Amino acid sequence: MALAAVASSVGALSVLGADAGHAASAPAADHAHEHVSAFSLKQVAHSYLTAYMFCLSLCVGSLFFTLAHHLFDAGWSASIRRVTETLASLLHPWMLILSLPIIGFAWTGNLHAWFRIDPATDHALDVKKVLFNPKAFTVMVPLLIFLLGSMARSIRAWSVAQDKDGAALWTTKSRKLAAGGIFFFAIGTTLLCFLLMKSLQHQFFSTMYGVYYFAGSVWTTLITLYLLTMWLAQPGRPLEKVYFKRQQQDLGVLFFAFTVFYAYIHFSQYFLIWNAAIPEETFWYVLREVGSWKWVGMTILFGHFFVPFLILLNQDIKRNLAVMVPVGLWSWLMHYIDVTYNVMPVIHPEGLHLTLWDPLFWFGMSALLGRLFWSEYRKNPPYPLKDPRLLEAIVHHEVSAPAASAASAAH
Amino acid sequence: MSSNLSKPYGLLAEFHTAADIFEAAMRCRDAGFTKWDVYTPFPIHGMDEAMGLRKSPVGWFTFCGGFTGFFTGMTMIWYMNQFDYPLVVGGKPLFTPLFAFPVSYEMTILLSAFGTLFGMFFLNQLPRFHNPLFKNDRFKKSTDDRFFICIEAGDPRFGLEKTRAFLTEECHASVVESVED
Repeated sequence: MALAAVASSVGALSVLGADAGHAASAPAADHAHEHVSAFSLKQVAHSYLTAYMFCLSLCVGSLFFTLAHHLFDAGWSASIRRVTETLASLLHPWMLILSLPIIGFAWTGNLHAWFRIDPATDHALDVKKVLFNPKAFTVMVPLLIFLLGSMARSIRAWSVAQDKDGAALWTTKSRKLAAGGIFFFAIGTTLLCFLLMKSLQHQFFSTMYGVYYFAGSVWTTLITLYLLTMWLAQPGRPLEKVYFKRQQQDLGVLFFAFTVFYAYIHFSQYFLIWNAAIPEETFWYVLREVGSWKWVGMTILFGHFFVPFLILLNQDIKRNLAVMVPVGLWSWLMHYIDVTYNVMPVIHPEGLHLTLWDPLFWFGMSALLGRLFWSEYRKNPPYPLKDPRLLEAIVHHEVSAPAASAASAAH
Repeated sequence: MSSNLSKPYGLLAEFHTAADIFEAAMRCRDAGFTKWDVYTPFPIHGMDEAMGLRKSPVGWFTFCGGFTGFFTGMTMIWYMNQFDYPLVVGGKPLFTPLFAFPVSYEMTILLSAFGTLFGMFFLNQLPRFHNPLFKNDRFKKSTDDRFFICIEAGDPRFGLEKTRAFLTEECHASVVESVED
């Protein structure tokens, strides 16, 4: 919106005077004159990373949903938990394997600039080199994905074990893991998105970045879960008898809540940086107000928040598939644009520049993971058969009185 | 306290079980009554549908409250900072929706809450100090172990004898009493 205007309009009074403004955009200047061609490895690497961060969102979002289910000892979500358990289990080994090219791209100098920068020559890197150094990156990224994935796999394994013997012990085990695991989840997800995405511009500071990625991830996961469970609950499909309108409504409400939460977090990040006006932070958004990036930002503001928010305000809409399916598809696009907004200005500071790689990796990776999800999902019962809370989930819908016509026909 | 001067408020029908009143509510709904209500000691799932209740319009009051709050916040800050007493603070523009946002956001919440509360009061015709049903001794059991339906005399389909017969014969109420205003 107005960062560049703030920097230039207030002149001498401004803490961001004209000189400071130039200094602030200096980190981006390295790339300013470098044209990244569509077939360069750099372009491929960034498109790949964008697709990867989108898919990672669905896995960590699902892991969060599973952990939250156990933490709250929830009932209503028991019948759809196998879906999130399976999605989260894609982290290990599949997302782990898919992360290896990113490490390769980074080592070959096509992704994170700091892989080729000597910390002695760059103060911003020097103070962050504990985390941002090639060795730490190479060890931590796979390790974090492995640990998060193992957590998801354990919970799913216990849930599947419960399908056989129905012992409540498995639920207790999952709850205990979730109690500690939620802290590891928060730290692990934050570190992952710091390492993979935020450190593309290592000079940037934002303590809200982790929760920003988290909010967008859970948002996307909830609508994905909504669409997936609706599809699985159609007549003749596995969730037909355990998934009802009330759960659909609850997922819709949660999605609505995260629409607001995401906006709250992203606005707060922007607003605090705008208000403090410290060049080490403002450069990140200044770069994203150049050229068409400004309009991408506006698309996120309106498309990621205002439009879904106003649509979802209505209670009944959340059960209306004619509206929710387009909203779902739109949300996927919005989250992808959100990730693009984080990744792409680094190599295309002049404005949004889409290449064939972007849809190729986005659709390709999603399709691959979708295929893997389906084959993994079908290996086990489609919902936790003997979960102690399953009955609650099944009766969690309102007893419906016969409609007027049916009742009058009866007598 | 019945006298010739008092006019009937409505008919109060008593039921013994949740199933009975659920069934009776559906019959009242299908008979097309509009000014009537169900009183039970505890919430009965599905009663909204059995009564044919539509969605509450309170949400519209909430929305209007929130909308007003948001634009009040924005306008207030624009008026104070840019128009009435322009003052540069921290090198920021005199007005931008950015710094006006937190306050507007709080105003949205505040007036949404007011809209919800007062909208509900308005729709329920509250505050109200008395309801004719309170005079009925039998009605006190509605907080204990009895279930009641009251069809009000203001209902266009209401007829003292006709409705009494409907409640007794079709709805199988155990007792039907007339309540006076």
